[in-house]
Parts: sequence; structure tokens; C-alpha cells
Amino acid sequence: QTILCLPRSFEYSQKHAVLVPVAALGAGGVLLCWLKSGRRIKIIDMGDGWWGSGERTHKGKEDLSIRPFKIETSDEEIEDLHQRLDRFRFTPHVEGAAFHYGFNSTYLRKVVAYWRNQFDWRKQVEVLNKYPHFHTTIEGINIHFIHVKPSSVPHGRAVRPLLLVHGWPGSFYEFYKIIPLLTEPAKHGLNEGDVVFEVICPSIPGYGFSEAPHKKGFDSIATARIFHKLMSRLGFREYYVQGGDWGSRITTNMAQMLPQCVKGLHVNLVFIARQSLGSLIRTMLGAYVPWLVGFTREDARRYYPFMQKNVYDLLRESGYLHIQATKPDTAGCGLNDSPVGLAAYILEKFSTWTDKSFLHKDDGGLESKYSLDELLTNVMIYWVTASIVPSMRYYKENFSKDPDLSAHNRVGVYVPTGIAAFPQEIAHVPRVRAKDFYRNIITYTYMPRGGHFAAFEEPKLLAEDIIQFVQKVEQL
Amino acid sequence: EFCSSLAGIMLLEVFLVLGTLLIYFLFSKKKEETLPFKDGWWGRGQKPVTKEDSSVRPFKVETTEEELSDLFRRLDQARFTEPLESSCFHYGTNSVHLRKVVSYWKNQFNWKKQAEVLNKYPQFKTKIQGIDIHFVHVKPPRLPEGQAAKPLLMVHGWPGSFYEFYKIIPLLTDPASHGLGDEHIFEVICPSIPGYGFSEAPHKKDFNSVSAASVFYELMLRLGFNEFYTQGGDWGWLICTNLAQIAPNHVKGLHLNMVLVSKLGLTHLLSILLGWYFPGLFGFQDEDVRRMFPFLKKGLYRILSESGYAHIQATKPDTVGCGLNDSPVGLAAYILEKFSSWTDMEFQNLEDGGLEKKFSLDDLLTNIMIYWVSGCIVPSMRFYKENLQKGIGTQKHEKLTVQVPTGIASFPNEILHTPQAWAKKKYTNIVSFHFMPRGGHFAAFEEPELLAKDILQFVDKVEKEQLWKKK
Repeated sequence: QTILCLPRSFEYSQKHAVLVPVAALGAGGVLLCWLKSGRRIKIIDMGDGWWGSGERTHKGKEDLSIRPFKIETSDEEIEDLHQRLDRFRFTPHVEGAAFHYGFNSTYLRKVVAYWRNQFDWRKQVEVLNKYPHFHTTIEGINIHFIHVKPSSVPHGRAVRPLLLVHGWPGSFYEFYKIIPLLTEPAKHGLNEGDVVFEVICPSIPGYGFSEAPHKKGFDSIATARIFHKLMSRLGFREYYVQGGDWGSRITTNMAQMLPQCVKGLHVNLVFIARQSLGSLIRTMLGAYVPWLVGFTREDARRYYPFMQKNVYDLLRESGYLHIQATKPDTAGCGLNDSPVGLAAYILEKFSTWTDKSFLHKDDGGLESKYSLDELLTNVMIYWVTASIVPSMRYYKENFSKDPDLSAHNRVGVYVPTGIAAFPQEIAHVPRVRAKDFYRNIITYTYMPRGGHFAAFEEPKLLAEDIIQFVQKVEQL
Repeated sequence: EFCSSLAGIMLLEVFLVLGTLLIYFLFSKKKEETLPFKDGWWGRGQKPVTKEDSSVRPFKVETTEEELSDLFRRLDQARFTEPLESSCFHYGTNSVHLRKVVSYWKNQFNWKKQAEVLNKYPQFKTKIQGIDIHFVHVKPPRLPEGQAAKPLLMVHGWPGSFYEFYKIIPLLTDPASHGLGDEHIFEVICPSIPGYGFSEAPHKKDFNSVSAASVFYELMLRLGFNEFYTQGGDWGWLICTNLAQIAPNHVKGLHLNMVLVSKLGLTHLLSILLGWYFPGLFGFQDEDVRRMFPFLKKGLYRILSESGYAHIQATKPDTVGCGLNDSPVGLAAYILEKFSSWTDMEFQNLEDGGLEKKFSLDDLLTNIMIYWVSGCIVPSMRFYKENLQKGIGTQKHEKLTVQVPTGIASFPNEILHTPQAWAKKKYTNIVSFHFMPRGGHFAAFEEPELLAKDILQFVDKVEKEQLWKKK
């Protein structure tokens, strides 16, 4: 166009002779950018993988069957556990330790006594089996999941598929209290609305009843891909995903991988995004003029003092992450052999990550939000499946290559996103910072109470937030 | 006008120089004051009003059938997790190899025999500051006419113990029989750090390296030594350093096989960035450069990949140690991993972690058994929290220098290399600094002869300098 105009342009005044080509260039430039941005990769490569043991056999197709499964236990298993509990070697703590040195051994003795004498694993297994469990083989390993459909669907309502993904040191069991609130909200006093879910809770490979990968390199991308394949195998083309802890990262990767399948992404933890110069400036200014950098009052309250809450607290709480991301087989070895050691390691997180002030309590405040039965059932899942070591390897696989999740940060998330910000979460991420990565935040809620294990601790609050988020997405 | 402006400039220059000097002296010069002795009481409950029992009681390591059968039952019922394919020791201790070690432990390792080995040197216990301190005390079998034995305090670290010194002790108490000349003969004292091995664990918070140094200082005085040498690596490095800072008039010489700098400043940063290109500018020797660079690989990544244990032990020791005091296999995996990578980082690429290249399984398991039978893994880990919880570089002793004559044996496979240029900022009186030809972190355990020779030449230098000073 510009070139064709040129022969005629000398007839116009000088001003026009400059403006027209400039305008054309400008338009051309905008066009080019728009075209390029359209073609810019906004998704993560799906890739492929195979995690079974030994060589992959190429003959025959992979078994696609979905096999029902029931958790079982035996006298031997329980007897072996009891013997180990009986011969636990206890170390006295220093005077006035509370939970500052880790799990308080005096309180641990009480927990062990309960575990040995009152906790009924057979009964808990029945509790676990109240929802239908299944196994299916994907990429060479057995994937475990529960699949709960509403028992009765009100007339005219559509049932939305919802994938809930757990984290560490949790399990599918964390969702047991929230599932009924999502499959039958009306029955539990939740807002009617139009939304009812059928819920799928898989176990991350290496956790619980999902087989552990036999090959190196199994990270959240591989998990995201496997869970997409799972949903597809179950016949779903579009679904909602929700997660906290690793579940947050996995569901986020799922949204980045196949955005057309993920109708909505809901997270109760935002993985700490990389600090750029801009965010650093924002952090420094935000302490004095939060409104200037887009922080709300609640943000400021949760985010500052910055060094204390975001550096010292994190350093104090991330020892486990450091050792699991470097030497998982060493860290987990003793824990797979000593159930009490396993319980101390896991339950310490259920204390500190639920409320930081629990550090000052002799009993770690554990039973103020959870029952010992619930806590021990989760620990038993790690024990009976002997999955503590593979669960720790997940940290190495995810952090070794990508210490600051940089590649995926660049990709961003464009799927409608809902964020539930719990006050006692390990670290707070203000909406304005989350927006750098989650480009399409539909809802961001400051929850009134609750910590890291949101679904376990505050199922009603979380369910309400998920439902209101999904309702908004449905109206888009 | 010209004169006054010139005078003005000169005055300004004088002020600038004075100001800089003032700032330099105020902020950068490390103080030469001594570290105060840290008194404390670490026993259970309230400190009693009666005077503490200061007797020194003989001690022998004992074992029982019960102890052994309990151990065997736990080994028999150990639950292992299959390693990832081709992971060697990259994910930590490889469980396939661990199985072999456990099988040896059950079937060939003889703890009764090893306890006798431990008892071949006289051991004692004595109560200091409310807790029982265990130590080995070996006197020379023979002394030439007119010569006195020089007292030498040797302090172990984590995950080691007094047992690490068993091969080097005879080289120091009886050097002549080992071809090392008899000009300097030592009587060796190897205590166990409180919370390690057969030393009682402190019952109160805040027992750090300065506390340990104060306790060992009291020990040496109680044994009647007014002047002595000290030697250490790992925590022993820090405790002996603190001891030299507390009582410089009593510590004749300080010998270290490991040095860590905790106060990093601008010069350190610059020397990391530019040291490869201009080593001379920063006082680096060729061997320094060879061991330190490329810095990302040999410095930063190594710190990150190897310090997970320190991070969790410095924050949640009671949690991480809990299972290890209950599962001997877990304890072994945790401790053996260090004897692999800290002896040679390349051992991580081996399926057996190179464990038996430098140590015998008997030796490795004896060290582990000390942690197991004394049930001390948790208190041993608490020492990290007590020392590190306030952060690195924040404590008073880290800001003070050491004026006592110091000898440094720098082993090539030590986890991190500290060049003399950095060490001398803290150790202002380095009498000898040698690059050892081979060996890693557990120097006394792995290369007793090399270490003994270096200690001897260091002591020789110190003694000769003292004689010269007296003249």
C-alpha cells in the first residue's frame, strides 16, 4: 500500500507525505504484532512419557480399562504397625521447646498411644471405601482415583465435572469432607445455584494408591498430562480443576497445556512467582503506600512485615523442601521404616501450616482443627502404600530443572481463574501479583479463616468459594 | 583566592582521608577482644545448690543381648523403597546398595567385637555445667627422657564421633613407632560434643558451639592442662576456634582441617566474580583456583545441593531425627550418604556411592552404632539449630578474629574450599597452610597419616617460634 501511494504522494503537501507512510507503518506494525501474538505460544507443550519399569513393550495397545478397586487391610499389616508403635524409641525434647524444634516428643507419645489403642484402621478403611475407587493404567503406571457422582440430580441441572488434586503431605482423603458439599450442595445448606459437580480425585503418581513412576523426570507437567488423559478416558471434554499445594501447580499446568479443556481453574495456593525488578519495587513501596501499588489493606496486613513473613518464615519452614528436592531417598528412608517418624514428619506440617501460632503450643494445636482419626488416616495412607519416598522425589523432579518455574511463568494462564486466599497460608500472594501470571482472574477471595489444608480444614468455606467461582464462569 | 581554594582542596582531601580511615577502623577492622566464656547449666530442671560432682570416672562401652536382638529385629523388618532406574546416589542413599550394607550389618558385623575396639582406649565421664561429658584420654606408651607429652584436644563433628580419631591417635601418641619421628609426642583427649555419643545431651535451649567450647575448656582445666593444642574439622573446627577465642593464653596452637567463612563481604564477592581471571589480585594460588572454580558448580550449586540436611536440622531437628532414632536403616542411610559425598563428590555417580573405597564397613557401622546405641541423633541435630537459627554471620564469635597460631590442612575433596586469602581475615596468625594431596571431609578417618604429619609439622613450627620468642 505504502509503496503504491508513493508515486501519488508527491502531489500532496510535505506533511501528508510524512504522515501517510508513518501511519501505514504504524498500522502495519500493529497488524504484525497482532498476528505474532496470535501465533505466540500460550500453551505448554504436552509431550509424552512412559513411567513403567524396565523397557516399554511395544506390542499390544495399552490397557485402557478402568478397574474398580477397594482398599483392603490385613491382620498382618495391623500387627506389624502395632509392633513398630510399641517399640518406638523416644527422645526427650529440651525444656520449653513447644513446637519450635519440630514435633514435640511429649505430645507425640500421646498421639502414638491413641494410634496404638484407639485408632481403628479397619474402620477407617471402610470410611475410605465409602466413595468408589478405581485404577487405570496411563503411560505405563497405575493411576488411582475416586469418582463421586451426585446420588440424585435435581431436575434440569447440569452436572459439572470437577477434578480435585491434592498435594504433599496430603492425599485424596483431604477431599472427603468437601466432596458431599460439591456433589449435593443443597443437602448441606449451601446456596442452591445452578451448580452441581461430579468429583474426580486422583492420587498423584507416587502418592497413595497410585503407582510410583520407575523412571526419572516425573514432574508436574507429566502429571498434568496424565490427568488430562484420565479425564479424557472418563469421557470428559471440558472440566473444572481445583487444587492446593502441588495440586495448584498441577492444575495450573493443566490449564496451560490444554486451555480448551479447562473451563475454570480454582486454586487455594498461588505458587510464589518469580521476583522481577518491578515486583521488587512494588514490594518495597507497598509497605508504605499499598494503595499506590495495587495492594488492598488486607494484602498489606497479610504481606508485611515483608522480611519476617516472606523471607524468615519461609526459610524456617522450607527445610523439608530443601532436603526433599536434593536427597529424597535419604530423607524418606527412615520414614518408610518408622511409622512414628513418618507421623511426626507429616503431622508437623498439619500443625504449622494450619496456623503459624501453633508453633508456640506444646501440642502444636493439632486437635483444635482436626481429629486424630483424620490425621492418622492420612498418615496411614502413606504408611500402607509405602509411598513416602516417591512422594518426596516429586520435589526433586520439579525443582531440579526449574527452580523458579521460569519457563511456565513466561507462558501465563489465560483460563478463567478463581483464587481463594486463606489467611494462614504459608505465604500470601496479593491479587495484583498473581495477575502477572494468572491473566484471567475472575474471582479472588480473602477467606476469613483457614490455612494450607483448606479442603481438610474449612471444607464449607472452600466449597462456597468454588461454587461462586463456577457460577461466575458459567455466566461468562 | 587561588591559595585559599588550594588550601580548601587540601583540607577537603585531609578530611576525606581521615574520614575514610575512621570509617575503615570503625566498620571493617575486626575486633581483637576475646570471646567471653559462656557459663551455663544444662542439666534437667533447676540447678541444685550443692556443689557439682567434679570426679572423673572411668567408662566402658557396654552392650547387651537385648540391645543386639532389638537391632536385628529392626534390620530384619526394614522396609526399603526401590530406587529410580539408574539413579546411583543422585537422589540420596541408593536403597539397593543399602540392602547390601544391612545384610553385612546383620550377618557379619560384630558389635561386641567393635565395642572392644572402642574400649581399647581409656574412656571417662565427668560432670561439667550439669551434664556428663564423655571423653577418650590416651597417654603416650613411652616418653623419651626429659620430654613431656603435649596435650592435644581433638574435636569431632557431625555425623562423626570420637571414633573418627581412633586411627590417628597412635600416630600422635607414639609417632616413632609409625615412622614419624619423636620430637613431639602427644597425649590426646577426644571428647564427645554434648548431645553426641556418650556425652549427655543438654536439657536446656541454646547450647551452641561457644557453650561446647566453654565446656571443653573446663574439661581441659579439670584434667590439669594449662596449655594445650586443639584440632578439629566440621563442628570441631568451630568449637576449637571458639576455644581459641575464649582462652587464647591457654591454646598454644589451633589446627584445622576445615575452615568456613561466615562473614562474606564485597571483596569476597569480587573475588568470586573475578578470581578466575585475576587470581593474583585476590591472593589466590593456582590450587585455590583449581578447587574453587567454576564457582557456580563448585560453590553455589554444591552448597544448594548438599545443604538440605543442614537446613532442616537447623529448623526442625526433633522432626527429622524422630524416625532416625527408631529405624536403624534410616539412620544408616542418612549418615552413610555423608560419608559418600563428603569424601568425594564424584561418588554420587557410583551405584555403591564409593563407600568402601576409603572406609571399611566395620568402621562406618561402628560410627553409626554409636549414634544408635546412645540414641543421640536428635540432640546431635539440635546443635545445628542452636548454632544457625539466628542466621549465618550474626553471632558475636563470627565477628571476632583468632590470634592464636593456626595451622590449616586443606583437603582437596572437602565440601567447600576456603583459600588462605579468605581464612587469614579471621585467622590472623596462620603459621602453616597446606594443600593436602588427597582426602575429603573426614580427614582423620580417611587419611590419618597425612593429617598427623601436618599436625606434627605445625606443632613443630609453633614450638620453634615460641623458643625463638623466649630467646
